[in-house]
Amino acid sequence: MAKAFVEDRIPNLSRELCDRLLSDLEKAKRPVLYATKCSLDNALYNPKVGYLTPGKKKVATELNVSSVKKMSRTIFMLEVILRNIDSGAVNTKRELYYIAKGDIKHNPRLKPLDFADQGESDEIIDFICEMLECYREELNCFANDRGGQTYSQQLVVTETLTDGGKAVIDLSKLGTSPFQPKNRPQSLKLSARKPIDFCLIVESEGTANTLVANGFTKRHNCILLGAQGVPSNAVRGWCKLIQDQLKVPLYFFGDLDAYTMQNIFRTLKAGSAASLIRNSDFSAPDVKFLGVLPEDIKKYELNDYPVKENDAQEVRALKKAADALKNDPFFQDKRNKGLAQILKWLLENKRRCEQQAYFSVDPKDPTMPEKIIIEKIKRGNFV
Amino acid sequence: MAKSAGSSKSNQKITTSSTAEYFAKNLQQVGFSSQTKAILTTLKESVDNALDACEEAGVLPEVSVFVEKIGAGSIKNSDQVRVRVEDNGPGIDPEDVPKVFGEYLASSKFGRGRCSRGQQGIGISAATTWAQLTTASGARVITKTANMRKAVSCTIEVDIKHNKGVVKDKETIDWNRAQGTSVEFLVDGRIQLNGEAGLLNYLNATTLVNPHLTLHYKLPELERQTIARVSEQIPEIPDAVEPHPHTMKLGEFIAHSHLFGRVSASAWLKKGFSRVHEGVLSELVKGGTKRAVLEKSVDALNETEFKALFVAIQNMKLMAPSTRSVLSIGEDAMAKSIQRLGAVDFYSVVSRKPAICDFKPVQVEVAVARLEDRSVEADSHVQVLRFANRVPLQFDKSACAIVHAIESVNWRAYGLGQSKSSLPFGPYIIAVSVVSPFIKFKNASKETVDASDELVEEIRRALIQAGQKLSKHLRREVKANELEEKLKHIEQFCPILVQGVCNILKAPASRKKRAEEGLLKILGRDTHLAKKELDAAHAVLEQQESEKQTAFDLEQE
Repeated sequence: MAKAFVEDRIPNLSRELCDRLLSDLEKAKRPVLYATKCSLDNALYNPKVGYLTPGKKKVATELNVSSVKKMSRTIFMLEVILRNIDSGAVNTKRELYYIAKGDIKHNPRLKPLDFADQGESDEIIDFICEMLECYREELNCFANDRGGQTYSQQLVVTETLTDGGKAVIDLSKLGTSPFQPKNRPQSLKLSARKPIDFCLIVESEGTANTLVANGFTKRHNCILLGAQGVPSNAVRGWCKLIQDQLKVPLYFFGDLDAYTMQNIFRTLKAGSAASLIRNSDFSAPDVKFLGVLPEDIKKYELNDYPVKENDAQEVRALKKAADALKNDPFFQDKRNKGLAQILKWLLENKRRCEQQAYFSVDPKDPTMPEKIIIEKIKRGNFV
Repeated sequence: MAKSAGSSKSNQKITTSSTAEYFAKNLQQVGFSSQTKAILTTLKESVDNALDACEEAGVLPEVSVFVEKIGAGSIKNSDQVRVRVEDNGPGIDPEDVPKVFGEYLASSKFGRGRCSRGQQGIGISAATTWAQLTTASGARVITKTANMRKAVSCTIEVDIKHNKGVVKDKETIDWNRAQGTSVEFLVDGRIQLNGEAGLLNYLNATTLVNPHLTLHYKLPELERQTIARVSEQIPEIPDAVEPHPHTMKLGEFIAHSHLFGRVSASAWLKKGFSRVHEGVLSELVKGGTKRAVLEKSVDALNETEFKALFVAIQNMKLMAPSTRSVLSIGEDAMAKSIQRLGAVDFYSVVSRKPAICDFKPVQVEVAVARLEDRSVEADSHVQVLRFANRVPLQFDKSACAIVHAIESVNWRAYGLGQSKSSLPFGPYIIAVSVVSPFIKFKNASKETVDASDELVEEIRRALIQAGQKLSKHLRREVKANELEEKLKHIEQFCPILVQGVCNILKAPASRKKRAEEGLLKILGRDTHLAKKELDAAHAVLEQQESEKQTAFDLEQE
């Protein structure tokens, strides 16, 4: 049960915090709540650790007229969450929003705390996470999100269920169905029927499915999973689990553009500035960037095209890339020089190339992308 | 055109017409251009005369106005309306009554250069003419001076052919008052009570700029009302000063000399004009005017000499005319008076120092009032009250200097809504009074003040000062609201926060009580701090304002 995972850490931390707050109030001393500052200027990157970690900066919320509402809401939401943890109940953020609204409805005294929309209650839940330095799954608040669609002929997953029972899933027996684990990596144990050579994470879930349909997983001892674009917590936690438990090399195969490099690959490998406090469990530092690489365009005569000026997302990503090269500790680190060079290439050339361009190399051979991927892995043609 | 009619084709005689004939045919030029305007103008001329008479005699005016519908009028779609105005003024010498009410351009004020309401002596005669033309009756006048035991009652009609007042039905009657005048007109027209051109607006506006007036009125469909005076001071109308040479044209210059008979030109210039003194004459001589010309008697100067003298003076730099001749309502009196307009929850009043615009002394006074009634639509324009020599101007707003000045101010900076270069929005009244012995009206019916750049700028400055006072108040209001909000906020959340923390800790009631007390102490300090900040901000603001004002005054001097 969830209760087992969090044990008493969260309730203890919460009680400590409340006791400090109450003591300060008793002494007519202005209480201050400290939360980890989750932003790039408080992100540290140590290549040995492999992911972005929080620095020493804290956001202090001192009790005053303008913060009394936020503090009251925080304590109220903490009460709801502790009640959940105590009973083992699990909820999504939206459900918590409605639970809070329900509590307020039944207790008119709480009316001033009412949330106008979910955004307001989400903000309070995130604040609690930053204050207790935990991630929301530890508060029994789960996102409706699952690890990417995963295929393998060798992987076996043993899941500890909430009632304490075990479920063993042999992925080779699932036919064409993918395995998609819930975002609770702590309850999963991985093993392999045969040695697994590598894990391939494909940015596009569609392309991942195509590779599987064309027999990729039959011909290679591997795990293949789709990243669903920007990887969710569940995808990140799942990749981390594969890395830690199976110790196999991980390769990421995605588009060659600034958005993929910064928002997808960097998040998968080292986490993000917004999630500094949970990067340790939600990043897979060993993952390598297999492509598309800039040199692949020439080598395989891939179709690339210039970044369109009206493509707001890409233009913004390019702007951000220039900033990242100057300020992002991940791209500044010399061990990630290769990745920084790709960003520089993208900035200079303002061109992009999609992963599906591999299908243009030999249109008559549907396994051509697979062949290129395997060739690149064998030759060590990745960053 | 009429004079060139003596061509071969025409045998028509060239005739001359009397002034009365001209106005009888052109009553629209003096405010009788529509049926509603006819009633308003009749009332306005009567009230103006009453107020001027009281002020001239140093009497605190008490004026009664009665307007009632009698029946259908002779003009299509009109009513027959009785307009009666009574005052407690000095009364009129019976011999002068026909001149006052029945003769055009018969005035005690024409061209005197004083800040009286009436100037030319046209308005009240025009009202008599209108009554005569529409209901075949003149003005019914009752008047009594302090020396008379009985009052004189008569009907005055205008002899249009000869521009003379004709007295009819004259009798002496008992009148239960020491002195005063009552004038009654029976005219055709339509009564408009509300709106910008309404009778109510006129009466309210008149009370605003005449704080010393007690007004009783009875209008159709309304109860009898009395608006008591808020000032016991009769405005002293300053004496006129001699004309300034730069305000004259050559013809006027020569005609002016005839008033002085056989005096030397230099004596005439010094006596007959303001800002001409010995130093100016020496300058004239230095500039090439012969000393002999200045020594010559004015009636011996020929046209060439007059012209040379006139041009030489025009080209000289003279001191601006004196501002002694203008009259001021005063900030205090305006402030009291504005509260007679109805429920006003804030006002700012600015009385500028007299200034010179277009070589004429002018005093501008402004009042901005916010109405308590906020039910007006957000995008409806503010109510503008315009006054020239304390007479409300109710027509032809768009061409008026006052409206131009209001539109040129950026009211958004003072917290009012405004589209670009237009009147601001909101539940406000902006009243602007321009007082000058020489107001440049655009027409004979005195509906609009000519928008010269200098006058617009002077009015604009007054409006800006009033706007600054207003915005200071609005900011203070916002701050006060914020403070109240903060207190409310604290009262709401404190108990919830403490209860929540105690629930989690399962803390005893004693801890809860102590925490609540502590929290109130902490947040009490917050509000105390906010109050202190508020006071400090106001102090700084006031200091800045006074510094700004001092700088502005110095600049003016």
